[in-house]
Amino acid sequence: MTRGYYWLIFGLSIPAFIWLVPTIWMVSLSFQPNDLLARTTSSTALGLIPFPFTPDNYIALFRFGQVPMWFLNSLIVSVGMTLAVLAVSTTAGYALARLDFPFKTPIIILCLMGLMVPEQAVFIPLYTMFSDWGWHNSHHALILPRVAVPIGVFLMMQFFKAIPKDIEEAARIDGVGWLQIFWYVMLPLARPAMMTLAILTFLYAWNDYLWPLVSAQQREYFTITLGLASIQSNFAQAEGLGRVMASGVIASLPVVVLFLIFQRYVVRAMTAGGTKG
Amino acid sequence: MTRYQGTRLALTQRQAAAILLLPFLTVYAVFLVYPFFKGVWISLHDWNLMAVAFNPDAKSYVGLSNYERVMWGSNITWGAWASPGYQFFGLLGLGTSVLLYRTGRAGKVTALAIGIASLLLFVLPGFHPGEDGRWYDRRFWPTVGNTILFVGLAVPGVTITAMLLAAALDGETRAKAVLRTLFFLSQVLSVTVVTLIWQIMFSPRQGLIANVTELVGGSPIVWLTAEGFAMASIVIATIWWSLGIAMILFLAGIQDISKDLYEAGALDNATGAKAFWYITLPNLKRTITLVVVLQIILHFQVFGQSHLMTNGGPNDTTQVLVRYIYQTAFRDSELGRASAMAVFLFVIMGGFSILQFVLGREKDQ
Repeated sequence: MTRGYYWLIFGLSIPAFIWLVPTIWMVSLSFQPNDLLARTTSSTALGLIPFPFTPDNYIALFRFGQVPMWFLNSLIVSVGMTLAVLAVSTTAGYALARLDFPFKTPIIILCLMGLMVPEQAVFIPLYTMFSDWGWHNSHHALILPRVAVPIGVFLMMQFFKAIPKDIEEAARIDGVGWLQIFWYVMLPLARPAMMTLAILTFLYAWNDYLWPLVSAQQREYFTITLGLASIQSNFAQAEGLGRVMASGVIASLPVVVLFLIFQRYVVRAMTAGGTKG
Repeated sequence: MTRYQGTRLALTQRQAAAILLLPFLTVYAVFLVYPFFKGVWISLHDWNLMAVAFNPDAKSYVGLSNYERVMWGSNITWGAWASPGYQFFGLLGLGTSVLLYRTGRAGKVTALAIGIASLLLFVLPGFHPGEDGRWYDRRFWPTVGNTILFVGLAVPGVTITAMLLAAALDGETRAKAVLRTLFFLSQVLSVTVVTLIWQIMFSPRQGLIANVTELVGGSPIVWLTAEGFAMASIVIATIWWSLGIAMILFLAGIQDISKDLYEAGALDNATGAKAFWYITLPNLKRTITLVVVLQIILHFQVFGQSHLMTNGGPNDTTQVLVRYIYQTAFRDSELGRASAMAVFLFVIMGGFSILQFVLGREKDQ
């Protein structure tokens, strides 16, 4: 390691710290008493150190208010969406990558075209459809629209295409059916790709804002992302800054933990989602 | 292979494919293909959300008049100097694309894309109401302009910062890995957490930025409600939020550059900034284009930052397209007009998606 290297790291630590400051500040404010925050947000070290320290905001959050319910909704919607996306994407991805059937190319092109349609181009018609069916304010209404986005199918298709054919052919010679090959041979191989897709979907579901904003009008069906939006516009008066910040920390906790544990998958998932979706 | 014995169903390949494809294709048809065409259909109607909810027949077919009411006006004329700011950049872009292509610094597709975008930037702002004329919808084109301005500020901001960081943080050491994690972290947060943090960061009374300005003796800026600063604020929050993916893409691009080039460069005394300028940058052309196109697609759909941080204000200066669609549909109940705008959005996004696809294909070859 040269001297220049240490200078580089030192030089980059400063912007990295500045980059982290907003997040640190949110966490720090969430641990300070509300009556103090009403007077000043910079009591110790510009407010970056939570002193005087109190866990009251978090306790209040779980005692009163709807944050725990929103959190649960987010969990149900995100897990539900992840499972549904995995189910339809692995099956369709395998069929498109490995099986031979009529109209295969047109189907692939039709699915590719779906990648061009942004959520904002379909959210109005989806709203009217779900209204007609009386589906709004439910978990499945928040889940289903994203299951139709073909990105997962393409991720899985590309993955299955890269698996050598002889594995499959050996099983075929043994007389194994296609569905059994998919289930017993291909799916176990596909675990890394499924993991990437699962994380991509979970992050999307947890962080989605526009569709829940349109579809979930009753507060009982808010996701945490939507609920947080509903309390941040009047943060100072209604709940106290500390409590709103604590809600923000709670809302970020699952995705940040996911990121820290599965960093490599998360990075891969987000770049895959970014480059193809 | 005994465990397969009992489950041997004599399915043909076609039958298996049908079974495996059916779940996805059903969901795809019902929740994406059908809504897409229904959206176009709604845009051809005078369709009030409330009225149609009570009486499904309360809509009427009006042809393309929603598009006219959104995008056109009475007595619209075209002038080459009607909106000099945008049009100047349009001409500049046209010149750049020709120059880039001639000098071989950009591929055909890239040059063509820049050329088309610049041509639109020159032609579209040229339309303006003549004498006694007016736009039917006064807010639509300024909203599109704001969206383009937002994209025009956020995309270069993210791209340049991410590229420099990636160049500095490329390497296998532990310290660099930690720094990469720190810079990527904000990317996983949701838009509502990001706006929550930055609303309070920018707050003139409680904000960290105001606290720092006061500490050094300045007077705090009312970031989110001052016309000159509101757009800058949401751009800053956006850059903070969405740097990570761009940085990762650049890191991947940098790792693809052969190490031999740097070794050869080092012999010619090209290290550090020089190596970045003469070796890294020219070899990153493809990645730069990819990142820019991706960011344009991503940021053109901006909604939360404007909706939550500035409410589109002050004086509509941060009103963006998706927020205008949302308000027209769900506050004004005018689904027809909102859908026409959504189709407009789709056309723009679709154009960039095709460009992205073509660029991706080029890369594979």
